[in-house]
Amino acid sequence: MLRRLALLIPLLALAAFARAQEPDDFGTRLAACAACHGKHGEGVRGAEYYPHLAGKPAGYLFEQLKGFREGRRVSTPMAWYVRFADDAFLQRIAEYYAALPPRTRSADTGAAQLTEERRRVAQNLVEHGDPAHDVPACSACHGANLAGLEPGVPALLGLPIDYVIAQVGAWREGVRNGAPPDCMHDVAGRIPADDIRAIAVYLSQQSNVDGLRPAPAGSFVPPKACGSLPHAEAAK
Amino acid sequence: MKALRIAAIIAIPFVLAALAIGFFLFERQGGFAPYRVPDDNGRSVASDTATLQRGEYLARIGDCAACHTAPGGAAYAGGRGFATGWGMIYSSNLSSDAQHGIGAWSRAEFAHAMRHGVSRRGPLYPVFPYEHFATLADADIDAIFAWLRRVPANANVPPPNRLDFPASRRSALVLWRMLYYRPEAQAPAAASEDRGRYLVDGLGHCAMCHSTREAGGALAVDGYLAGGRIPGSGWYAPPLDAKQLQRYSVEQLATYLRSGASDHGAAYGPMAEVVYRSLQALTGDDALAMARYLKSVPARPRRDAPFTLLPEPAQRSIAASGAEVYKRNCADCHGKDGEGKSGEYPALRDAVATTAPDPINAVRMVLYGGFPAATAGNPLPHSMPPFVQQLGPAEIAAVTNYVRENFGGQRSYLTAADVEAMHGIVLD
Repeated sequence: MLRRLALLIPLLALAAFARAQEPDDFGTRLAACAACHGKHGEGVRGAEYYPHLAGKPAGYLFEQLKGFREGRRVSTPMAWYVRFADDAFLQRIAEYYAALPPRTRSADTGAAQLTEERRRVAQNLVEHGDPAHDVPACSACHGANLAGLEPGVPALLGLPIDYVIAQVGAWREGVRNGAPPDCMHDVAGRIPADDIRAIAVYLSQQSNVDGLRPAPAGSFVPPKACGSLPHAEAAK
Repeated sequence: MKALRIAAIIAIPFVLAALAIGFFLFERQGGFAPYRVPDDNGRSVASDTATLQRGEYLARIGDCAACHTAPGGAAYAGGRGFATGWGMIYSSNLSSDAQHGIGAWSRAEFAHAMRHGVSRRGPLYPVFPYEHFATLADADIDAIFAWLRRVPANANVPPPNRLDFPASRRSALVLWRMLYYRPEAQAPAAASEDRGRYLVDGLGHCAMCHSTREAGGALAVDGYLAGGRIPGSGWYAPPLDAKQLQRYSVEQLATYLRSGASDHGAAYGPMAEVVYRSLQALTGDDALAMARYLKSVPARPRRDAPFTLLPEPAQRSIAASGAEVYKRNCADCHGKDGEGKSGEYPALRDAVATTAPDPINAVRMVLYGGFPAATAGNPLPHSMPPFVQQLGPAEIAAVTNYVRENFGGQRSYLTAADVEAMHGIVLD
């Protein structure tokens, strides 16, 4: 017993040392990010555009940061912040925000409202898609609870309306490009233009009260192949 | 008839004088020699591993890839645009492609372009720093050429330059060279004795940004490393001399060159790019040599700041609000008295942004913040947050004036309108 304890003590000391080595102030380095995305990646109240980052899959966040650096995703401010960041630093940033608790409140939608009929159209597209036009349901890839899927599919809960509209437009126009095969380019191009705003308003009103995290990798198989997901290899 | 003859007699001396001046200027830029692009002189280039490694290192320190790579494009395939006072110039393809790159060039032609700024395409625009590369040793040019031969062929065709007349004509460059290019001003012999000077004046081409420029884009004769606004970029490059760099020890300056950060300030904007793509690869000895040389450059007399913003002094009330804005937004990191926090947040006291005659770096940093480059010496950099959303232009003007007056001894008297005129992120 004593010998076991004697063995344990240096181990415990080692563990404490290892923890001390890990800089727990990493978030303080990201003051530039916090200005738009919130101190804990939860988004900034009253911001009409900037998405929250907390709790999104690290693989997704890392791909986006690289995309901004390399111009696959166009944003002058984001390019300004990440242009001289190497992969290792971007990976750390992605992991930092992925590990934070997901945002639970819905987006600040202001006065945006949907008529009952538009709301039904949007909800139907989100939950069932439009098989006639080969539009898959949002939930087929982003999860039935829209909380995302590791390692590459983000949650769709609580995103600002204008942000969602801008992303759909960017995918359609090729201003935002995912790793090939670029599933969202295909999907965004098939969403009826008239319904984009309704979907964005509907999604902005969905909150994540339970703080759900993205589903574990492989827990379900999305219907479309996406470059940022492992099952894309099989589909290529 | 008689009047015509008199006119001719009067005109002849002027014509002769013009010819003499033209002849003198043409000779001064090197006569005809620069325009005789040599054919293959049969000299082959060694391509052993050691030469290639040296070539790769030298190309990195010369930062060739930074200019000759388009954003998101293949390395050395050209196409990055440069905004000049005369329009856009796009960098050329340096890959080994025989048609679109320099794969068909001989070693002699490459050396000629590096030394004289003339290739088979004609005179090259002086955004290509041949004035500096002219001082390189033959062996170094050979090693760079050997390395570039190994860059995979890429058929990228850079966009055509979009320049105003007369800059749009390559022949106008002969005139430019007659007015501004002085090959004899280079002193390769002196440079080769001092490794630091060789790197600073040659491959490093530090003077491209850090020297004062005159009208016409030429480097001012007495403006060597004397600082100035970088054309097209919206940033001010500080002087590099004994006085400006006195806060740094040689070792600290060498570390800054390789890591992009120090307790006296971090590199942002164009300098962050230079550190990220080029200087972080410096060997320890080369970084020390550059630092030692830079700290030995005698300070030039400061010119009057060409950047006078407003004639009238700042309102007292604005100065007071600057202190308040500083206390609320800046003091947590940069300290009550601008002293910073060693290893985390740079001091503002005596920093470049606060002491420079040109306030643009300070305003840019307050507006948009940014990240220093991630380097081996500073792998997880601390960022500066943007304030463009939290503070109005009047508050940003006030806090910039406060910081510069109190921590840098500079009165910039910026107004809200001045700050608004500096809005906008410049990526290139």
